Amino acid sequence: MQTIIGRHRSLRQNRQGLSNIIVVVLSLVIIVVIVSNVILWSYQMNQLDWEKMQESMTISSVTRVTRSSWYVTQSEYAVNLGSRTNGSYLYTQVVDSNYEGFRESAPPRSLDINGTFSIDVTIYPLAYIQSVEIQLRYKVDDTGEKWYLKAYNWASLTYSDIGFNNTAGHTPSAGWNYYAVNLTSQWSSYVQSNGKILVKVHDQQPDPTRTNVDIDFLGVRAVINGALFTFQNKGSRTAHLVSLWVNNSTEHKRYDIDVVVNSGETFSYQRVDTQLPNGQYTVKVVTERGNTDIYTEG
Amino acid sequence: MLKMWRNKRAITPVLSNVLLMVIAVAGMSIAITATYVITGNLRDNMGERFIVEDVWFTTGTISIYLRNTGKTAMHIAGVYVNYTAESFTQLSLEPLEHGWSNVTYSWTANTVYHIKIATSRGTQVADYYRSPS
Repeated sequence: MQTIIGRHRSLRQNRQGLSNIIVVVLSLVIIVVIVSNVILWSYQMNQLDWEKMQESMTISSVTRVTRSSWYVTQSEYAVNLGSRTNGSYLYTQVVDSNYEGFRESAPPRSLDINGTFSIDVTIYPLAYIQSVEIQLRYKVDDTGEKWYLKAYNWASLTYSDIGFNNTAGHTPSAGWNYYAVNLTSQWSSYVQSNGKILVKVHDQQPDPTRTNVDIDFLGVRAVINGALFTFQNKGSRTAHLVSLWVNNSTEHKRYDIDVVVNSGETFSYQRVDTQLPNGQYTVKVVTERGNTDIYTEG
Repeated sequence: MLKMWRNKRAITPVLSNVLLMVIAVAGMSIAITATYVITGNLRDNMGERFIVEDVWFTTGTISIYLRNTGKTAMHIAGVYVNYTAESFTQLSLEPLEHGWSNVTYSWTANTVYHIKIATSRGTQVADYYRSPS
């Protein structure tokens, strides 16, 4: 106790020594703060560079996309003339051996059905649709009359085929038949802003034979001018793609993208607003970390 | 009151202590500010990264698309074409931002140019680019 009191007394008397200690300690604190701050930040930036080096992104392929996927009805067909004999609308969603059967009505022996279809405008905005196609796969037991495809015209409020590339109808043969029509530039009259389109199938005119019609597939799709990019992440880090370039000798087009590709995975990315140029062009993708990969075509 | 004025020996230690405290506080403030400034500058210098996404040769102009991939804001201070400073549109980018900077330059077709971009902190990105034929 006496020693401690003695030390305390001598410390109080020797104030010059005390101030030296305070100055040294404060200086040390400042130096430690500077050094630790710099070292920690350096560590972070080294990690950033290391992650960038570990990233390996490649563009596997770039292909033109001219058609959307098929959109099929999600509800039962309305039978205006004739009757349903077997199956359901579910059998008309895929091209396979399952079909939905209909039969012409009793005299005047005619069939008239229509279904509701919907193009997904969140994937294929109307601004990027160039036309619409309707395709029917069907079979009849009487090949003596023509069959027609029409769509509801939201402007004239009636079913019509005005503007279709084929308004002459289709004469079936024995077995399964494909009948497709393109709505050409008139497509917008037949598609609502939410992508809804009503399609009608009907026969030519009343005839002596009461025909049975089997529909295997009926669908609509959009005609577009887009591109499908396939990205492959060969690195050990998840890659975030932020920028896509489509360049040729006359134009350099940049698109903001937000695509995350896990390590080792392949990701297909479709754009309907990206038109691939004719001839030679270069596609470039940039990651958030700053890596770039190039794909050259043509 | 008169007594206090006469006893100057009592006031002097108080004044000296106050003065010393003021000096000590001011000194520490300067030291802390200097520390903040020094480390801040070091951090900014170390955290600056950017890439050239695209270089596009158009008539009388070389357009350079830059992306800030670092952790600090950056400002383009100079663009050099074949080691000569050229006039360009000013560009400042926050982290993750990107944009064009147009360099006024009369390039000739099918020629290789060395283009260097320097930031206000001295970070440089340089590469060779061939103009279209």
